[in-house]
Parts: sequence; C-alpha cells; structure tokens
Amino acid sequence: MTDITLSPENSLRHGESLFRVRQLQDNVEARPAPSRIAEPARLNPLPSKAYFFWLMAPAIILLACISIYPFFWMIYMSLHEVDIGSATWNNFENFTKLFTDTRYLKGWALLFQYSLMCLALQIGIGVFLAVVLNGARFEKVLVTALLMPMMMAPIVAGLVWYFLYNGTFGWYHWLFQSLGLLDAKSILASPNTAMLGIVLVDVWQWTPLITLITLAGLKRVPQDQLEANMVDGASPLRNFFSVTLPNLYPVLLIAVMLRFMDNFRFIDSALVLTGGGPGNATKILPIYLFEVSFKFFKLGRGAAIALTLLVVTIILGMILVKVFDRQQTRKI
Amino acid sequence: MASRDVVQYETPLTRGFRWFSGVFIALYLVWTLLPILVMFVSSFKDLLEAFKIPAVGDWSGVGVFFDFTPTLKHYRDLFVNLDFSRYMANSLVAAGGSAVISVILGSMAAYSLSRIDFRGKSDLFFWIISTRMAPVVAVMVPLYAIFRSLDLVGTLPGLILAYTTFNLPFAIWILKGFFDNVPYAIEEAQMVDGATRFQAFVAILPLVAPGIGAFIVLCILFAWNDFLFAAIIGSGGAKTLPVATRELVQPQNIQWGSIMAAGVVTTLPMMLLGLVIRRYLVTGLTMGAVKE
Repeated sequence: MTDITLSPENSLRHGESLFRVRQLQDNVEARPAPSRIAEPARLNPLPSKAYFFWLMAPAIILLACISIYPFFWMIYMSLHEVDIGSATWNNFENFTKLFTDTRYLKGWALLFQYSLMCLALQIGIGVFLAVVLNGARFEKVLVTALLMPMMMAPIVAGLVWYFLYNGTFGWYHWLFQSLGLLDAKSILASPNTAMLGIVLVDVWQWTPLITLITLAGLKRVPQDQLEANMVDGASPLRNFFSVTLPNLYPVLLIAVMLRFMDNFRFIDSALVLTGGGPGNATKILPIYLFEVSFKFFKLGRGAAIALTLLVVTIILGMILVKVFDRQQTRKI
Repeated sequence: MASRDVVQYETPLTRGFRWFSGVFIALYLVWTLLPILVMFVSSFKDLLEAFKIPAVGDWSGVGVFFDFTPTLKHYRDLFVNLDFSRYMANSLVAAGGSAVISVILGSMAAYSLSRIDFRGKSDLFFWIISTRMAPVVAVMVPLYAIFRSLDLVGTLPGLILAYTTFNLPFAIWILKGFFDNVPYAIEEAQMVDGATRFQAFVAILPLVAPGIGAFIVLCILFAWNDFLFAAIIGSGGAKTLPVATRELVQPQNIQWGSIMAAGVVTTLPMMLLGLVIRRYLVTGLTMGAVKE
C-alpha cells in the first residue's frame, strides 16, 4: 500500500494530490467486496493547486492592475515629456536633468537628515520609555494613553502642531520663548529650526510605536539569563546592556526599518507644517516630488523622481523582508 | 515575572532611578496628551478666546487656557454650513469599501498562499508587500495619470481603488500569518466529513474571525487617516474629512475653532476604534513582524 500520510507538505512536495483518503478508499473498494457498498452521495472533488490559484486570482489580478500596470506607466512617463493628453519622447532628459537639479539632490540629503533625526530621537526616547514602563504599575493604562497620537490622522496632527507652534498664539511657542529657547520667530519660520519642528511632530506621533514594539520585545527577554547574570553580581545597568539590549536587537531592527520607510512614505504632517519651507530648508524629497508633480504638473519629471525614490524604498524593503524571514524562522 | 523573585536591595542609585523614571513617564504623558487636549479644548472655544495667551515668561498666566465659555458653535458650523456630514459619509464609504474589498479578496489570497507551495512564491510575496511599502507620492504619479484617463479622479470608486493599493497587500500579508496558525488538520477533518474544499475554508473562518475583524478596522484606520490620495485622487467629488479639514486653512482669517472641531471629528472615531482593536495594534502596525 502507498503511504497514507495526511500532512499537506508531504504530499505536496511530490506533486501528488493533497487528499489521500480517497485513494485508500479506492484500494479498499478494489478488493473483492463482500457486499455492495453504497456510493457516497457526494464525493470530494479532487483537490488541486488549481483550486487555490483560482482563490488567489482575484486579489492578484486586482493588485496587478493597481500596481504593476501603474509601474509600467511610471517608466513610460519618466521617459517622456508629459502634458495633458500628450507625451513626447525626450531622450532620458528627465533623468539626466536630475543630476544637475540641486533641489533634487538636496531633497535626498534632507530626507536622510530628517529620517535620521526622527529615528535617533524615537529610538532613544521610545526604548527608554519601554524599559521604564515594563512591569510598572498601571502599565496597561499608561500604554493605552500613549497610543493616542498614533490614531490621529497625520494631517490633523500637523494642523494641531501648526497651531501650537504659531508665533502669535501658539502655546508651545509661548513655552519655548518663556524657557528662552526661541526668540520671537516661530520654530517653523526660521530655516535653522524648521527641520527640528517637523521632526518633533513625527517623534510625538510615532515614538509610542517604538515603545510598543520594544515592550513586546522586552516580554520575551529570557528571564533566566537575567537572573543568572544578577546572581553573578551584575548591576541592573550592566544587566540591561549585556542581556536585555542584545535580546532586543531583532525587534529594534524591525522598528528602525519600519519607521525609516514610513518617513519615506508619508509627508502629510510636514506638508501642512512647512510645505518644504522656509526657503527649501525642509523640502525633503517626497515633498519636492509632490510639488513637481501636483503643483507644476510636470508628470514626466515627477515620474522620474518617483522611480528613483521607489527603487531606494524597494531596496530598503528587501532588507526588511530578509529580517522578517530571519525573525520568523527564529520563532520570536 | 520571575525576575521579581530575585531579591534586589534598594540602593540610593536604584531609588534615584525610580524617581527619575517616574518623572520621565509623567513628563512624557504630558507631552503626548497635551496636543490632543489643546485640540479638544480649542474646539469649544470662541475665536478670540482661542487666541488668548499669557505674556512671555508669565508662568502664572497658564490658567488663561481654561478661561473660556464653552460653545458648540464650531461643530454646528461644520455640519450646518460646511457640509461635513457629506465628507464624513465619503470618508466612511471610501475607507469601509476599500477595507471590505481588501479583507475579502485578501483572506482568499492569504488562505491560498498559506496552504500551497509553488515555485516563485517568495517572489510573489515580495512583490505583494513591496506594493505596500512604496512611497505614497511615488505611486500616485502614474495612478493619477491612469485614473484621469479613466475618469476616476474625484469619484468614490476611484478613491476606494486607490486605498486598495495599500490595504490589499497589507491584508494579504497579515492574514497569511493568521491562516498559517490554523492547522490544516481541521480542514481535513471537515473534508473527511464530506465538506467541500470551500466549505472547509468557510469552516475555519470563525477561528480567524477576530483577527479578520481587527484588520478590517485597521484597514479603515489607514484609509480614513490618509490625506495624499484623498487630496489628489478624491479632489472635487469625493472630498474626505482630512482634505476638508485641510481646506479650512485659508491664507487669511484662519478659523482655528473650526479646524480644531474638524480635527476632533476626524480623530475621535479612530481613537475609539484604536482602543477596540488594541490587542492587534502592534501586529498590524509592524506588518505582523512583532506580536504582543
């Protein structure tokens, strides 16, 4: 008799049918039957991969229509001078111009500056907060209170902070001035501080995510290692750096990558806060792209910029998925 | 937690740290909740009261913040004069529509991806997730051109389709993790009992139902809070709450009261929903990489 294992992996690996019970039944039927066996009213249809492909198809086709098709459009547009209703080939001019476009190059620099400032503050504050909150009294309530900013639409967050930063009636502006940190100019009005202004909003909104991720990681730090270390006489500080932190690296890596990509993805709050100004002090690349495409409607140039931004994000994404995979095999 | 059982003696250092951490948590709470409080309170203030602020360095003047007579004027304004009920309906339809489409199609795809193996599966998977990671502005350039040629700009179906670009891959990615946790043996048992494959699939749905529910909510949250797609693709006929809120900001004569009230209207439902799905939040926001 053939093997009758039911595990899907086994049968699938040999490209055979998923569902072996029927064959077993057939074998039984093949023997000389003592009496007539009634046919079951309905047989299970022979399962096949085709069934699953059909189940998958609607989602895949829809996704292809709204992602692959636009992707080819983007490539097409990036090679043309696009006007309403017309597109003329322009010999890679969209791309060659990018190398001399100082605002484009500065956009990259500012984007990385922005992301790194956000990340440094978020990781620093977020991890410390998680360590302090872990096992604290009212942990659940406190964490829930911390979640609130994340639920807010980034555009609304931007507007509220715009109000708080306002040079004549903003409460934070009043606070900064009273503390002697700022002169009469609002934080967003001066090119030196505007970047910090938009970074603070991102930090306000997304540090809780880092805290949540770190808290989830902290719950999985092996307690026996901590105890062994403590029995050996390590101080709590030493304990943190030699046991807790190394155990946190995998989740922190995920947190960093996610935030990094989100800084590339979303510009809502920065758009209302400064819109790239003053001057071009906060014109990070996505904002510049937004302007080129939807303010000046140079869709061809916009597509070229978008393509470069997309490629960098996809490379980041590949790294992230690699990290995910390693995580899942480690069963964290 | 086991570590509590190990006796740790109080030293001045640890006590200092405890104090410091308490103060830090308190300060952080204030910093985190203050903007939200200001938004809520300002939405009930009359225009002039919202602009009242103490002189620089006048710390005792902070009380001015609470010195006002609450008014519902701004909310009335939004819904009576400004058509916010229609924007809210738009938001609801666009976010809900894309969430339901994404989760239905997504759960079918996720189930299949979780049950079979084929060559190129990891590539397919990476493609799916990369569509979710793409910068919104970058995706929007070609999408806008296509939607314009299809006359989808400014319509709710266009907006639903646009939101599906990020909600569908999210749903597939997250729900696959859910189906991976359901043992295949359950379906097998169903099929031995005479269920068809599809009936077996339906039979395991209750097991993943809480997760699916939570992710419908999360998809709604992403779409509801979106601004860029709504501003570009939905401009005109399908104005959603974030766009309408943003439009209240005029170069002159900024109506802060109305803006704050609109902010509350946009934010409050999502905060409540966020609390409802609190348990799935970390999983959702980290795309399933971190589980609580």
